[in-house]
Amino acid sequence: MKRIVASLATLFAALALPAAALAADPYPSKPVSAVVPFAAGGSSDLLARALEKSWTKYAKQPLVVVNKPGGGGVVGTEGVVRSKPDGYTLYVGYGSGHDVVMPTLQKMPYDPVKDLVPIARVSVHSIVIVTGAKSPFNSIQDVVAFSKKEGKPVTTAVSVKAGSVDLALTAFGKAAGVNIVTVPFAGGAESTTALAGGHLMIGGGHPSEVIPHIKAGRFKALAVALPQRDPSMPDVPTLKELGIDVALWGSIKGVAAPAGTPKEVVKEIEGIVKKICEDAEFKATMANLSQPVMYQGSEDFTKFIAQATADYAALIKQLNIKLD
Amino acid sequence: MDLFAGLLNGFSVALTPINLLFAFLGALIGTAVGVLPGLGPAATIALLLPTAYAIESPVTAIILMAGIFYGSMYGGSTTSILMNLPGEAASVVTCIDGYKMAQQGRAGAALGIAAIGSFIAGTVGLIGLTLFAPPIAEFALSFGPPEKFSLAIVGLLLAVTLSGSSIVKGLVMMAFGLLLASVGLDPISGKTRFSFGVTELQSGFDFVTLAMGMFGLGEIFYGLESIVKGQVVTTKVGSVWPTMKDWVESRWAILRGTLIGFFVGVIPGGGAVISSLVSYAAEKKISKHPEAFGQGAIAGVAGPESANNAASSSSFIPLLTLGIPGNAAIAMIFAALLIKGVTPGPFLIQERPDVFWGVIASMYIGNAMLIVLNLPLVGLWAQLVRVPFGILAPVIILFTCVGSYSVQGQVFDIYCLVGFGLFGYVARKLGFEAGPLVLAFVLGPMVEGSMRQSLLMSGGSFGIFVERPISLALVGLFAVLALGQLAVHLMKKKRKPGSP
Repeated sequence: MKRIVASLATLFAALALPAAALAADPYPSKPVSAVVPFAAGGSSDLLARALEKSWTKYAKQPLVVVNKPGGGGVVGTEGVVRSKPDGYTLYVGYGSGHDVVMPTLQKMPYDPVKDLVPIARVSVHSIVIVTGAKSPFNSIQDVVAFSKKEGKPVTTAVSVKAGSVDLALTAFGKAAGVNIVTVPFAGGAESTTALAGGHLMIGGGHPSEVIPHIKAGRFKALAVALPQRDPSMPDVPTLKELGIDVALWGSIKGVAAPAGTPKEVVKEIEGIVKKICEDAEFKATMANLSQPVMYQGSEDFTKFIAQATADYAALIKQLNIKLD
Repeated sequence: MDLFAGLLNGFSVALTPINLLFAFLGALIGTAVGVLPGLGPAATIALLLPTAYAIESPVTAIILMAGIFYGSMYGGSTTSILMNLPGEAASVVTCIDGYKMAQQGRAGAALGIAAIGSFIAGTVGLIGLTLFAPPIAEFALSFGPPEKFSLAIVGLLLAVTLSGSSIVKGLVMMAFGLLLASVGLDPISGKTRFSFGVTELQSGFDFVTLAMGMFGLGEIFYGLESIVKGQVVTTKVGSVWPTMKDWVESRWAILRGTLIGFFVGVIPGGGAVISSLVSYAAEKKISKHPEAFGQGAIAGVAGPESANNAASSSSFIPLLTLGIPGNAAIAMIFAALLIKGVTPGPFLIQERPDVFWGVIASMYIGNAMLIVLNLPLVGLWAQLVRVPFGILAPVIILFTCVGSYSVQGQVFDIYCLVGFGLFGYVARKLGFEAGPLVLAFVLGPMVEGSMRQSLLMSGGSFGIFVERPISLALVGLFAVLALGQLAVHLMKKKRKPGSP
């Protein structure tokens, strides 16, 4: 009898212990899910995997990447929005097209600004305008001159319809008076492949998609459509420098949590991500992925997202882009 | 000779104990994945990505993942033949004659010839990869949107005329397949179509769910009927091994399938599926007994199976030489390499010859391992047809439900699975075949997307499809095939009233 009581007592103690530990232990006391709303192998997934690799250096519990693709990112993001705001379900890749561009174009099942708390910005991917190596174009001026002289449309490969690359090239066409016809594909890999085959005149893409082809001598970089030059290709001028008043925010990649996540937990995650962004190994991995590390804390990132959303909305209105 | 020195160096990398072990593990997991319905190579590699990241050497990681990829192509024929369950698009064609053979008690012969054909095709494909990778890569790049459209319509035509029972019924099923494919995000306009506000439908239907429902579940529902009527499914196993006659009938089919698979498979996006279709159509044309196709012709298994395995070898070419991933599984391998600090592409062979040649050498070894692993299993699998329907059917239903749930982790997909199963049953009752529907579902996005891209490029002129040489040749082929089919169809109609 005594033994039974003793063992029962131990059992209860064992059961009670984790609960007590949960209450007392600082965040994170269990593995953290990092939801990527895109398929494995894409740029958001790669960023999440790089974070996952360095995460355990600065946190006691691992980060587990969960891919939830579908609906252009909406399905996975909605999952995060509807999950418990305890800091154990994070959204990695916040700032993608469906967060800052789509809400202007279509009805969303949630509010990407109000229903999520931006924790930290990790990277910004610029938009690079490129052309095939065999193309007669050697600069943006050549493209403009061709269009003025021949009056023909300039076929342009873009990764997806109404994505940041599509918007940048359409805006460029409007500002420079070039008849740009954007041809959307099912992702950056397909659009760069078509351009590499010489099937279109120019194209746009993020550095991770175009740098391998530039290095291989298949692409020539013409311009960067961001306010400043891309650190991974310092020789390529911005459109602004070339006298074309177009500058976009690029594709933003950050970490966010569902609205209602406690402030101190947000602070904690922000600290972990900050340390990871300063980590030499992480920086090296990101450099190899052609995703420059551009850290921003929660407060700045919140402002940045609001600004980017507003600017994209204004641009879409100005270009009169509609989904139909 | 640089080539031989490189390959020799590759074997010295691939033959280290750790790399041998991982090549074996990859082949083993790949076989298991191919056999289990629902779990495709891309999903498995995604699950194993964290493991691959944790492996110290990038060569070892890619050897494991490549093994899973080609191993699953190998194993994919097993469920197609035994249970009419195609695990991926490329094995839909295998179902047609493979499953018929199994019902006739010749599962062993079908499985055996599929394994042997896969081994020959995989190895010949690798030799092609070793010798001609760079020019083949250029060939792959020459396929722009217009060429892809022309290739895809040839594929669609072949899908419709696949079984040859009734072209009209084939066209009806094709139309259904194209309609189902248009559910979800339209890549050209960015709009969501036919989703009726259902979030799960925004990404469209899933291929695995559709194929398992239309083929596997449809077949089980149909089988239930014969049980009720008191008919017994065949329990004969027959010879476990292919006979000499089988071999004679399939050897040239294997070689032709290999060549077709190697060249067509290299085209990014849809290459493997079309190559299996082209191979099947070619065998049927060449055969002295075209009427046997669809009734369990062994060449109809040998050709397409060889084609999709040769395609799995050649689909590494765009990755290794251009840094372009041609399909979802290869894209995963691409991502893992990037994380490990290796950039696949034109410089890979100079920068990391150990990775380039090590992977190729490991694929030679892995192919040999696969045949050693699979041939003894043939006997075991062939016995599976003796398992009573009452036991097998619930097990298959369970596996297909788990499989379709595992694709995206959505219960919604299980409902879709059951819906497609019922549809497949009704279609079968009415004499409509599932093949054209499922294949049109795969080719639909390629046809639509590349057509609209081409028309954007040409400013709306259809001339773009005949102005470019490759596209013109394919459109010409399409016209010849279509007119030929029409002539056959009309002749049949004419003869009918006259015949007694």
